[in-house]
Amino acid sequence: MAGTTVPISLGRARSDRLSSAAYFLRRNPRMIIGGLIVIAWLLAALFAPFVAPYDPIKVNVVDSLQPPNPQHWLGTDDLGRDVLSRVIWGSRVSLSVGLISVSIGLLVGTSVGLAAGYLGGKFDLFVMRGIDALLAFPALILAIGITSALGPQIQNAMIAIGIVAIPAYARLTRGQVLAVRAREFIVAARTIGASPLRIVVRHIFPNVMNALIVQATLSTAFAILAEAALSFLGLGPQPPYPSWGQDINYSQRYLPNLKWWMSVGPGVAIFTAVFAFNFLGDALRDALDPRLRRSG
Amino acid sequence: MIRYILRRLVLMVPVALLVTVGVFALARLSPVDPVLVFAGEERDPAMLDAIRHQLGLDQPLPVQYVAWLSHAAQGDLGRSFQNKQRVTEAIFERLPATIELGLAALLISITFALVIGILSAVKRNSAVDLLSTSITLMGVSFPSFFLGVVLILLFAYVIPGRIFPPGGYVPITQDVGENLRRLVLPAVTLATASLALNLRQVRSSLLEVFGHDYMRTARAKGLREGAVIVRHALKNALIPVVTLVGIQIGAIIEGAVITETIFSWPGVGRLAVQAIPSHDYPVVQGVVLVSALSFMLSTLFVDVLYGWLDPRISYESAAA
Repeated sequence: MAGTTVPISLGRARSDRLSSAAYFLRRNPRMIIGGLIVIAWLLAALFAPFVAPYDPIKVNVVDSLQPPNPQHWLGTDDLGRDVLSRVIWGSRVSLSVGLISVSIGLLVGTSVGLAAGYLGGKFDLFVMRGIDALLAFPALILAIGITSALGPQIQNAMIAIGIVAIPAYARLTRGQVLAVRAREFIVAARTIGASPLRIVVRHIFPNVMNALIVQATLSTAFAILAEAALSFLGLGPQPPYPSWGQDINYSQRYLPNLKWWMSVGPGVAIFTAVFAFNFLGDALRDALDPRLRRSG
Repeated sequence: MIRYILRRLVLMVPVALLVTVGVFALARLSPVDPVLVFAGEERDPAMLDAIRHQLGLDQPLPVQYVAWLSHAAQGDLGRSFQNKQRVTEAIFERLPATIELGLAALLISITFALVIGILSAVKRNSAVDLLSTSITLMGVSFPSFFLGVVLILLFAYVIPGRIFPPGGYVPITQDVGENLRRLVLPAVTLATASLALNLRQVRSSLLEVFGHDYMRTARAKGLREGAVIVRHALKNALIPVVTLVGIQIGAIIEGAVITETIFSWPGVGRLAVQAIPSHDYPVVQGVVLVSALSFMLSTLFVDVLYGWLDPRISYESAAA
């Protein structure tokens, strides 16, 4: 009898899971829209050499300043470079800076937050004052200060935006750790002799994960915007390498001649990428944090 | 309350000191020797050594930090490497333009946030509510420099009559009309991001307040809907908005960096941006320090204001 019921119950569980996933996605169109745009940009960045119709840095003066046309969908700049190709290649810069800087912030901030929250005492006091000091700087000003000191390079932009992101993760993780460290399962783990490292990694960290996923998604949106702002100010990748912010800055000199297409391509690219990560982050927050789902 | 403020001020001291360490370290992180920047074309080793000594850069780092800090505490942030002007003087010269731009942007942001926010909360799921949600979503995702470029293109070049100029600044003391004409585009650009945040806050605070019992009581005793909203709902719902605006005032310099660059607005943000390519560290350092300290002070001010506006917040429990 058991032999007949088991496969049926498993099949039902799987179909239940699939239908609940489909129901969830239907109920969360923001996740589908945001997720699809994010995936599209990730694919464009990964396969830029195959997707981009032209070499983004090849000068072709004969084709300069062409408005959008069938050969150049987003037109060309003053050096005849294809705007669409530069937008596609520029996604590599924006997304890599976004993802790497968020990883820096996530890794350092989460470690600091876990240690400060679990250890408490003087360690918590001193480390969190350092985090407070980082928070005292307006984010973009700090990123500009660090990048201008280290030099205008893409890896320095990643470091700067990563440092700016640390406090958010540290405070978030510390708060969550403080909330769970007195719970019964942590006391039980301590009672049976689990080491502090094991307690933090195996018992506390999984409880912080959901909040971190949401924060990481939202801060990727900020990182892309910050990278574009740094590039706009000349503190990102240097010409002729394509970068969305830098290309908008460059296009400014052609505004009096109404060559609008030079700035529209990279501008819309930044907007869609930031919008998608914000949308996805909001949807994930609703899905992963039941407290917000109830209040929201 | 005074005890709470004093306690917050005392707690601010170590954080402010850490901020100064960070700002000092920024200039020392650079691979470019500040002596070479200061010396310009001069490359005589004896002369360079003399400059190094004059700037105190031959001292150990902790000594340099203490000297820099004691000067900074007296309002001396050094001299610009480029034009040898005092950094404090350069910042204060440009501060009025930045404050004018920042306050104009806040005025636009708050006005629109209140009008659209109230309408969207009162008429939930209406066309105004949809507009409010769209503005919020667009505002947080739309890069301000792209918006600035679009506004310049439209109002300075595409629409006939060149309604607004593409950039530049005329002091208000010189020509009020021209000053305001040149202020519109940068102020709208700067207002957009904060408008999104303020609008979201107004709407969500109002929706929260609408659910409280005292709102039902106010309606039950026969008050007109307008009076209920203005006298009961808004009064409570605006508390978080006021705090948000307070923080935005503290972050005026940050917001102005990009906008001032696009519109050639001669403020503090542009001063920092212009100093970067020439490695003019004292200027960058000065702007970063001033903006961090003003941000810290505004946060403190907001905390105190929040408690004053909302009597439910106890300073004794906050201090404990």
